[in-house]
Amino acid sequence: MTPAGEIAVRMGELAVSSAPGEVLLSIGLGSCIGLALIDQRRGIAGLAHVMLPEATAGGGPAGKFADRAVPELVARTTALGTSRTALRAVLVGGAQMFTLGGGGAASALDIGVRNESAVRAALASERIPVVASATGGARGRTIRVFPGGAVLSKEAGGAEIELMPGVRA
Amino acid sequence: MTALSGLQLDALRELANIGSGTAGTALSRLLGRSVDISVPNAVVLPLAEAVEAVGPAEQDVTGVAIPLAGDMDAVVLLVFPVDDGGTLCGMLGVEAGTDDPISALGEIGNILAASYIGSLGAMTGLDLDLTPPQTVTDMLAAIVASVLATRATGTDTALILDSELRVEGEECSLSFLLLPEPGGVREILARMGVEA
Repeated sequence: MTPAGEIAVRMGELAVSSAPGEVLLSIGLGSCIGLALIDQRRGIAGLAHVMLPEATAGGGPAGKFADRAVPELVARTTALGTSRTALRAVLVGGAQMFTLGGGGAASALDIGVRNESAVRAALASERIPVVASATGGARGRTIRVFPGGAVLSKEAGGAEIELMPGVRA
Repeated sequence: MTALSGLQLDALRELANIGSGTAGTALSRLLGRSVDISVPNAVVLPLAEAVEAVGPAEQDVTGVAIPLAGDMDAVVLLVFPVDDGGTLCGMLGVEAGTDDPISALGEIGNILAASYIGSLGAMTGLDLDLTPPQTVTDMLAAIVASVLATRATGTDTALILDSELRVEGEECSLSFLLLPEPGGVREILARMGVEA
């Protein structure tokens, strides 16, 4: 159960908030990427829990694929009153925990690595800069995003670090 | 994955029941102790809900992932809560705090998966092989999600066959999961004569 004010963003989901006291949270990102978009000045933030680099056919939850999650998260945050040029991105996750194959020919490369490069490419085409990241490696991570602007990351077995300083509210 | 009928889920649950029974017997023989086996769950869930169905997202666990080769694409995942994994190693005389527990749990995973998959193969006539186990200690959600992601390209749901084995008289249990990709599920159901 999540405490009051915590909005859990699970695999393939995305969520936005401009309410002080709320925090967007993805627990246990392995090869998945937690993509945060933040407008610190206006206190608007969004978080997508991206599983895979590219959508195949249509359908599926909006946050599942990097190429669809980025434009969708931009649309949802701008709907709260920010503009695309005011958004900054923070990335957490994209670890390689296993080498399990599957998913056809493209799986020769690790999913975590492909997820990160797909998210970065989609952000570049929206001209949104990535200002901080904690990606790669072999350990799972948790991301917490405050609409006030702070982004925290915690690695499995490690301490919580402030990836982007800001208001924790 | 298309929705599965109650009959199909019952068939999969029965398969998991027999598989985990065989695995439980193997664990019992390995430890020389009684092992309780839970009634398995067979559930089809949206990916977002799949992790919660297995356990608390932030729990520290050791996961042993064993991809299958042969007639069906699936991953067997054994999940040991970290303390329980330590207890299990203790019963086998493997010292905690060294590299040995990780390889010991990988080896236990391999033995249990071989018995589970062996009975599954015998029941369905599918030719199934195990590939070497990969063992990781991390947050439960990171382990389960990373395994599911490898088979999630064409599906927004996950079929989870979940059984729990518990060593009698000890705080020691493990979850045994079979995570087939959608084609693998169809293959099993067809072999059991309950295809849609």
